[in-house]
Amino acid sequence: MASIELRHVSKHWGPTIAVDRMNLTLEDGEFVAILGPSGCGKSTTLFLLAGIYAPTEGDICFEGARINDVEPRDRNVGIVFQSYALYPNMTVLKNLLFPLRFKNTSNEDAHARAMEIAELVQIEDLLEREPSQLSGGQQQRVALARALIKKPNLLLLDEPLSNLDATLRLTMRSEIKRIQRELAVTTILVTHDQVEATTMADRIICMKDGQIEQVDTAENLYRRPDRIFVASFVGSPPINLVQGRIDKTMLVAGQRRLPVSGNTVSTNVTIGLRPELISTGEQGLPASIVNIEPMGREILYAAQSEIGLLRFLEATPQPRLALEEHVHLKADPGDVLFFDTGSGQRIEGVRLDAFS
Amino acid sequence: MMHKQRQRQAVNALIFLGPACIFLLVLLVAPIIVDLVVAFTDMAQTVRVSEFSNEQFRKIIRPNEDTWLGFELRGSFYRALAKTAIFVVFTLTIFNVTFGLLLALTTTALPDWLGGTFRAIWLLPRMSPSVVYALLWIWVIDPTERGLLNQVLINVFGFGPINLFIDHPMAIIVVANGFIGASIGMLILTSAIRSIPQHLFFAARADGAGPLSIVRHIILPTLRWPLSYITVFQSLALMVSFEYIFLIMGPARSTMTMAMLAYTKTLAPQIGSGQYAYGAAITLILIIIGVIVALLLYRLTNMKRLLAKPRIEVH
Repeated sequence: MASIELRHVSKHWGPTIAVDRMNLTLEDGEFVAILGPSGCGKSTTLFLLAGIYAPTEGDICFEGARINDVEPRDRNVGIVFQSYALYPNMTVLKNLLFPLRFKNTSNEDAHARAMEIAELVQIEDLLEREPSQLSGGQQQRVALARALIKKPNLLLLDEPLSNLDATLRLTMRSEIKRIQRELAVTTILVTHDQVEATTMADRIICMKDGQIEQVDTAENLYRRPDRIFVASFVGSPPINLVQGRIDKTMLVAGQRRLPVSGNTVSTNVTIGLRPELISTGEQGLPASIVNIEPMGREILYAAQSEIGLLRFLEATPQPRLALEEHVHLKADPGDVLFFDTGSGQRIEGVRLDAFS
Repeated sequence: MMHKQRQRQAVNALIFLGPACIFLLVLLVAPIIVDLVVAFTDMAQTVRVSEFSNEQFRKIIRPNEDTWLGFELRGSFYRALAKTAIFVVFTLTIFNVTFGLLLALTTTALPDWLGGTFRAIWLLPRMSPSVVYALLWIWVIDPTERGLLNQVLINVFGFGPINLFIDHPMAIIVVANGFIGASIGMLILTSAIRSIPQHLFFAARADGAGPLSIVRHIILPTLRWPLSYITVFQSLALMVSFEYIFLIMGPARSTMTMAMLAYTKTLAPQIGSGQYAYGAAITLILIIIGVIVALLLYRLTNMKRLLAKPRIEVH
């Protein structure tokens, strides 16, 4: 097990910058998720850690020692790929034994380890099969076992669940979490699925365009996003974002002026408000319903107000409101987040006084 | 309605399959039938048939009670058979397969632009006109001091000149054909290596495999099918190939393979050709050997499985 550190690490592909001056420290035994849209550099970061790519600049350190030039085989890193990357010409058992082939493990030891790990991921009955005879979930377990058999210092999971169907994904999510906890191996999960990240990881690294936007717990990413991107990427249905501008002690949004207090600076702002924090009532912001989306457990309404389009959730299974119905939207003004539209950074110390 | 539809289907089938069927009949089936008929005649320079007989085959095979099979092959034919075997086996194993494999492995391991350059250079012999290629070889192995090889031997190593035409004639045709054959192997194997998912290499590297282990455990198992393909098709192609042998060696007895024998006895200019029936008989035997070899290799390399479904898994 190891603590891992990235110091100012960049990876350039010609003119494209996949990872941009990244700084990151991982604690021993931690389960961290890298969350971001496709092309944000999350998989590149993973391959940099595995040693498959070499960083263009910066240092990668395992337990304080720089390992930039250390070959993948000497890093003791286990990877599970999105495609599983099982060796098609080998049986499951041979796939499991493959990493031990290069470790001077005696035959008996290797087989004992294979049995042990097969039991851990529950594939004991599949050892003689070929990868083409396995279902997606089984291939996934084999890939996980192969990554774990050499007792890696670091386990890297590259979108491991994205090829599985919905129910299997749920099972494997808790399975991977259980195995990670049992082995206490430092683990990095790369995913574009926020549910995977929030349910499995202790900490989440939110990435965009090769840069880290925020490193925090799932709850903090959701409730106190540092940047507009994090606010919009985390949460489903997505957060309401409304463009506006602070003019002395007033927020000007659409045709409406709302009072603000705190250390206000006149600037263009974007305000954010989660859909489930809005409800309807006798008083509040007047709006008319423009769209109704029943989602099973709750209903997502879209309403056009004077400050802009706002989506909100109602926890009733039956539509209570009709299209074009006039409603008043209520929200705790303290729940409204302020972001600087220019920099994308959240503005602290500014508070909406009334939401109406 | 039904009738009309069926008629249109028939017309469509004719339009789509017709050209291929005509091609097959005119260029493949008809020549074999002509060959079969001519082989049992006495057709010669005058292109006139006076009788049907197995006279031509008696020139090739002679009954002999003392031998194990009850017959023996005439000297010239026996030698042609042996030379064909040597030519095919050595060209195939050394160049088309081994050298092609080495080229594919090394050029795919190099950076793309460099590997591509090397492959392009190796394709030059195939792209250049065969006469030019043959002339270059004739210059390289010229037995006098003018030959490139002899210049190197004399000036660089201080040896005397050698005459490959006399000392190693089979080596000449094996190498000359091999340089061309290797490029086909290289192309097929390169594309096969390219089709291996990148993640498999990543996984193998992370699992601790070095370059040689990756070749052995990841690449070679994938190449099994392309290698079978090259073996079957190239051995058949080499068996009937005589172009470069004729251009470089002429009708020399030392490199008279079966295909060369059939050619020189029939169509080659000014060297006792025109024995059409004899050539046809040799060709007929060559066809039969070809069919047997093809079926044997088909079984041996389990080609049926290759043709049945793609063996390279793409993710």
